[in-house]
Amino acid sequence: MSTPHLLFKDIDEPGLDTLDVYVKRGGYDNLKKALTMPPEAVVEELKASGIRGRGGAGFQMGTKLSFLPKGTMDKYVVCNADESEPGTFKDRELMQKIPHLLIEGILIAGYAAQATKSFIFIRGEYDQQASILEAAVAEAKAAGYIGENILGSGHSQDMWVHRGAGAYICGEETGLLDSLEGRRGNPRLKPPFPANQGLYQGPTLINNVETLSTAPLIIGMGGAEYAKLGAENSTGTKLVSVSGNVKNPGNFEIELGMKSRDIIEGLAGGVPDGRQVKFWFPGGSSSPVLLPEDLDLTYDFDTMAKAGSMLGSGAIIVVDDSNKVVDVALKLAKFYKHESCGKCSPCREGTNWTVKMLQRIDAGVATPMDLDILASVQDQIMGNCLCVLGDAMAMPLSSMVKKFREEFEEHIELARARNPYGDEDAGQAEPPIEIAAA
Amino acid sequence: MADETKVIEQERALAGEIIAAPEQPVPIEQSIAAFKDEPPRYADGSRVPGWDDAADLTKDPATIPDPATTPVPDELRAEIEDLMTRYPDPKSASIPALAAAQRLHGWCSPEAITQVACVMRLTPGYLIAVASFYDMLDTKPVGRCRVYVCTNISCSLNGADELLDAVKGELREGDDIHARGFECLGACDIAPMASVDGVYVGPIALDEVPTLVEQIRKGEDPLPEKQLIKRRSVDPEANA
Amino acid sequence: MPRPDRKTITFSIDGREVEAPEGTMLVDAAKLGDVEIPVFCYEPKLGAPVGACRMCLVEIEGIPKLQAGCATPVKDGMVVHTQTDKVRAAQNSVVEFLLVNHPLDCPVCDKGGECPLQDITFGWGRGRSRVVEPKRHFEKPLALSPLIAIDRERCILCYRCVRFSQEVSEDYQLVLQERGSESFVATFDGHPYVAPFSGNIIELCPVGALTSQPYRFRARPWDIEQSGSVCNLCPGQCNVSYTVRDDRVLRVLARDHHEVDDGWLCDRGRFAYQAMHVDERITAPMVRDGGVLREVTWERALEEAAKALGRAKGAVGAIAGGSTTNEEGFLLQRLVRETLGSPHVDSRASGALPIGLHAALSAPATQATVPDVEFAHAVLVLDTELVDDMPILDLRVRKGVRRNRVKLAVATSRPSSLDANAKAVARFAPGAGEAFVAALEAAIAGSPIGELAAAAGAEEDAVTAVADLLREAGEDVVIVWGERLTHGPRAVQAAQALLKVSSRLNPNPHPGAGLLEVPAGANARGLREVGVLPGIGPGLTEAAPGLDTPGIAAAAANGELPALYFLHTDPLRDLPDRATWQRALDRASTVIAHGAFLTEGLREFATVVFPTEAPAAKEGTLTHTDGRLQRMRQAIGHPGDSRSEWQVLAELSKRLGDDLQLFTAPMVYAQVVDSVPFYAGISLDDIGGVGVRWPAREAASAWPAGESAPVGLEAPAAAASPNGKLRVGTFRSVWAAPEVEASPALKFLAPKQRAELAPSDAARLGIGHGEHVLVGGVPAVAHLRTGTPEGTVFLEEGIEAAPAAAITDPLAEVTKA
Ligand SMILES: Cc1cc2nc3c(=O)[nH]c(=O)nc-3n(C[C@H](O)[C@H](O)[C@H](O)COP(=O)(O)O)c2cc1C
Ligand code: SF4
Ligand code: FES
Repeated sequence: MSTPHLLFKDIDEPGLDTLDVYVKRGGYDNLKKALTMPPEAVVEELKASGIRGRGGAGFQMGTKLSFLPKGTMDKYVVCNADESEPGTFKDRELMQKIPHLLIEGILIAGYAAQATKSFIFIRGEYDQQASILEAAVAEAKAAGYIGENILGSGHSQDMWVHRGAGAYICGEETGLLDSLEGRRGNPRLKPPFPANQGLYQGPTLINNVETLSTAPLIIGMGGAEYAKLGAENSTGTKLVSVSGNVKNPGNFEIELGMKSRDIIEGLAGGVPDGRQVKFWFPGGSSSPVLLPEDLDLTYDFDTMAKAGSMLGSGAIIVVDDSNKVVDVALKLAKFYKHESCGKCSPCREGTNWTVKMLQRIDAGVATPMDLDILASVQDQIMGNCLCVLGDAMAMPLSSMVKKFREEFEEHIELARARNPYGDEDAGQAEPPIEIAAA
Repeated sequence: MADETKVIEQERALAGEIIAAPEQPVPIEQSIAAFKDEPPRYADGSRVPGWDDAADLTKDPATIPDPATTPVPDELRAEIEDLMTRYPDPKSASIPALAAAQRLHGWCSPEAITQVACVMRLTPGYLIAVASFYDMLDTKPVGRCRVYVCTNISCSLNGADELLDAVKGELREGDDIHARGFECLGACDIAPMASVDGVYVGPIALDEVPTLVEQIRKGEDPLPEKQLIKRRSVDPEANA
Repeated sequence: MPRPDRKTITFSIDGREVEAPEGTMLVDAAKLGDVEIPVFCYEPKLGAPVGACRMCLVEIEGIPKLQAGCATPVKDGMVVHTQTDKVRAAQNSVVEFLLVNHPLDCPVCDKGGECPLQDITFGWGRGRSRVVEPKRHFEKPLALSPLIAIDRERCILCYRCVRFSQEVSEDYQLVLQERGSESFVATFDGHPYVAPFSGNIIELCPVGALTSQPYRFRARPWDIEQSGSVCNLCPGQCNVSYTVRDDRVLRVLARDHHEVDDGWLCDRGRFAYQAMHVDERITAPMVRDGGVLREVTWERALEEAAKALGRAKGAVGAIAGGSTTNEEGFLLQRLVRETLGSPHVDSRASGALPIGLHAALSAPATQATVPDVEFAHAVLVLDTELVDDMPILDLRVRKGVRRNRVKLAVATSRPSSLDANAKAVARFAPGAGEAFVAALEAAIAGSPIGELAAAAGAEEDAVTAVADLLREAGEDVVIVWGERLTHGPRAVQAAQALLKVSSRLNPNPHPGAGLLEVPAGANARGLREVGVLPGIGPGLTEAAPGLDTPGIAAAAANGELPALYFLHTDPLRDLPDRATWQRALDRASTVIAHGAFLTEGLREFATVVFPTEAPAAKEGTLTHTDGRLQRMRQAIGHPGDSRSEWQVLAELSKRLGDDLQLFTAPMVYAQVVDSVPFYAGISLDDIGGVGVRWPAREAASAWPAGESAPVGLEAPAAAASPNGKLRVGTFRSVWAAPEVEASPALKFLAPKQRAELAPSDAARLGIGHGEHVLVGGVPAVAHLRTGTPEGTVFLEEGIEAAPAAAITDPLAEVTKA
């Protein structure tokens, strides 16, 4: 069964990152088309496509666009190219191989939003991709696609590539805005939502790289046509990043609604020989884990949600049975502890405490009762934080404790047997400490 | 220093052991060793530098540096001033400006931050708050060449912790190299991997590490055949 | 921007119907229904809520997730619950999280007993800890500055202190560093947090993480009493509360008054209390005997003073300093005018103005108030550096710009700390204020300004930019002007020019706009209104013409005034023209002074010294620059057998034959009210704890008519042209005060003389930053400062060791020392 390839069509065509080749294959035609339509019609077209955001939250792009107030105030389009959700690496390939598609998408979105300034916030680690984008933006500026009165349409739009400096929280849209304004990347209170008050207090459209890169294709084929692809409520094609214990890791363009097993075992080649899938994250490390029996679920937003998880950024991480669940849980918790911005107390202290508890569990200075505290702390984090980073740890962790409770208990028993004197140092990366509990 | 080397050696040995005989029960300290070293924001282990620091009461308060008494290299000034024109609010340039100063000074030293503060008309306090928030801006002196080894889930499932140990173990006294574990670098398809001053390479086999480190030391292109930038899509239908 | 109108809405909280102004945050609105929602990070004074601590989570019907009550504005019909299981669980959780790393060292914590974390843990916590993990322990306390200690392990990262530094005082020195649970409060590279308002963070901190170095371990909440008063150290007249233990002031806290101080204090007001109890303080009367001042009995001092004054009848000069209360000022002018028959009283440094001009400059109709600064369309800061002259108003101007987008214009000689917040900035030569205001007036009128701007030493474009901003901003324009504009020989012309600008910008006087003076003394307005001006009696009535301050100096220097009376001022320290004053003091046979410290003039020349009461021991009224009568209340007793100063003045009158029949401070106040018609009907009870603005009362109609006929401006005096020398400007830093030098904790801030130079001038003169120089003979350290206008050098006033007042020439040579 062949999948229509929109984004990844001939993705390795030599020179596709240059304006020349891109234009030769019809690049920027969709921008020209959009500029002949009234901005509202562009919004309608995107709405009709039903495309949901590819960055994690899965909010409909057209609807978000329609939230932006009309008027003459300064408006902004910001492309979220922070891509730091563990397991996600699809935006990287798009920006590196076909940067002009993204630029065209930002211009179309900017026209629809009547925004005059746009920024691509790319994570600083993507140095090579940022350089490619910068070159592409410069080319597009020189060719008149970016700047004053684009292609004689009367629409003017500026664009800059802004490099971040390493912080997962800057993927969260309001943390991103603070960072782009030159501050610590602390998320903001919502409301107001960025669509009303975002960058420099102006109405701001924030979308993921993949979402924006799809916009030109939607304009090209028409929203209704795009909506025929994919599944109900999950229209279109989607890039999935598959990684972890699979033989053929990488990005694949799929039609939403494909069977998960076909992605993991088909496209990505399945787990190494002789091993079994133990659990898998369907949408980046922030999504609650699913079990092998869930492999037959179709891969789309609603099904994943119904299964108690989420499609998120479309990053599938497969963990096979040679790994201990406690190890993965600790790794995960440490990541979120490290990336918590520290602004709100449940996330800052909750992630910190969780790591300490998992370290105790791993070091054999815990009892199964501690698993209850661990689970309860996750509950205390969920829903109480300023942004959802805290939930992003609490949800998968809580799912692991629930689904692998026996393994956790076994781990505690084995670790205790090996560490009868409760030497807590064994699992502590924290300062030398006196033992409080044993 | 000696202690640290010893720990690294020990951890390497242990890591080897784990790979060699996974089914053998290992002592508890050792099973944890793989996680012990990351995410290593600080080489000194745990304490956050700064927590135990008092203000030096002989210093003046750190207000916005006066250009009359703060020399700034011309090129840096020009670069920052250019950056500031890109944004409706020039403060937006603070992160790129700090990155520029870091390129010049090797790290965000007090001197580097003072220079940026002077050009941007901000207090150095504003900038240290920003710089210390981000992983790629170093507020302590480190080696100039930055090697980030991804130790997040997908990479660690493929041996990232061993890779980090191997890279660190290959370093010698006097190397101007800063090797550290890093959160997901967005390249799980080439796990385990590393970023050498922004150049992504992977998957890196442990026996390639000595070559890699030598290349880094000499400033050569790291593992050219393993660079991500040259990798073709694995999607079977992508290039029909 | 004008103040928003808020309508009242009804919402329901925990089953009660409550009315609240629309848009009020839930935590505040809840209080109106007697419901308390706990908060840590919320503090409206710090700006928009940040929603960081999550202590205030509440349930709102129709919204699935709990919401932060501190950041949710109430809407009509909203149904809120704060007592459900879900809310309780969230509150318990947040308390538990905050305590994960908190050391719970309450027994040794200064905050114990007055600690929001203790209270909230008790009220909303689970009461039981599940944390067995070790807490982080760090060295403590550490110095954050000489005034503030930080115990980082106690910090709950509520963001209050850093928000204050960043969003209120805007000094941006105190920041959070690192990220997540590793975040900590600190400054850049170990620099101390020293800024004019730093002490406020101590009061803001909801735990014992930030403590006052001078107060640390001095008392527990149950050892102390709080006693409200008003600070008399500068014209800000902030409302304070003294913490008293065993009749000693141990701490000063803000007594939040929205219309005066907005709840903040400067560090001088907060820490200078120490000067009330130091050994150097004068606590007993002294008489010069055989060339030296000796402590004597009250009887002897009063007798000597009365005798000497009696001998000099008709030829006494008296000057009241800014911290003098209305009562004291009133009695002083009675003593000098009525009892001693001498008309020479003044309370201004120089530049006498006729009644009409005083009346016009402070007319109730055009009197702007402090809050007006926050809500105006535009504010002009003219010839004053607020952070030095009236620190608390500096915060108010910043607040207006930051929160309400007030358009700010700054016109000063010396670069201002508000420049960065201003939309238009103009500089003029020191002393050329009159010419500048005339140029501004012309620019607003659209006339050519070339010559006037040149006379002012100002750039034409800059003047025009200020004029355009003010003209186009909107109808509510407030002019915040420094009294120094009307000092000097051409005071009258400067005042007229200012009034003309004012009438152009506010042709129809209305509330929310007008003039707000920044006086040179704390109670300058009050002293004028009770008649401490030459030729002007209480209530701005005509009095026999007398000499003004420079006149008194000159006359005394010529031997025409044998007796001088200084109430709370040392002319050598506080007044210009040091040389004349030295001669004057030398020739006068009687110099009576009330002082707190033996500063130079008192030490060398006073013949009788009466102790000044400590501010906390004082009882009396002050009049704020916007017309608010405020009360200083006595919080501590007088040391030994010392007396109130009003008693001293009344006693002198009595000994000289005028028994004023005064037995209590309120009796003096009653006399003041009787003599000042526009204070009529205001009782001490009316003034109470928050004061009364008399211009807003009916009796304000008794205010005399101002000089209202349109004045034609004459050609102003041009600024001296440098000719190779530099123009000398002076300023008085907030720290140049005897109480700063006397307070052990504040001493380190006492300024040393420095010469601020433009880098280009310094290069021309071959002077480097930090080098020792002589400015017209006054020793100073060169301080290169970008923005200092070329051709100008600035010196600090009020420094005893290197007095800027020694320079009388407008130009000086700067040479290497
Ligand atoms: C902690 C956190 C991290 C996130 N990281 C990313 C990211 O790296 N890239 C991204 O596109 N969206 C990320 N998001 C989602 C964004 O907040 C936002 O929903 C998205 O950029 C909107 O674009 P979309 O509608 O096109 O998906 C993150 C969200 C959270 C809460
Ligand atoms: S020091 Fe105090 S005020 Fe500052 S963040 Fe910590 S708890 Fe809050
Ligand atoms: S008081 Fe509302 S979040 Fe802190």
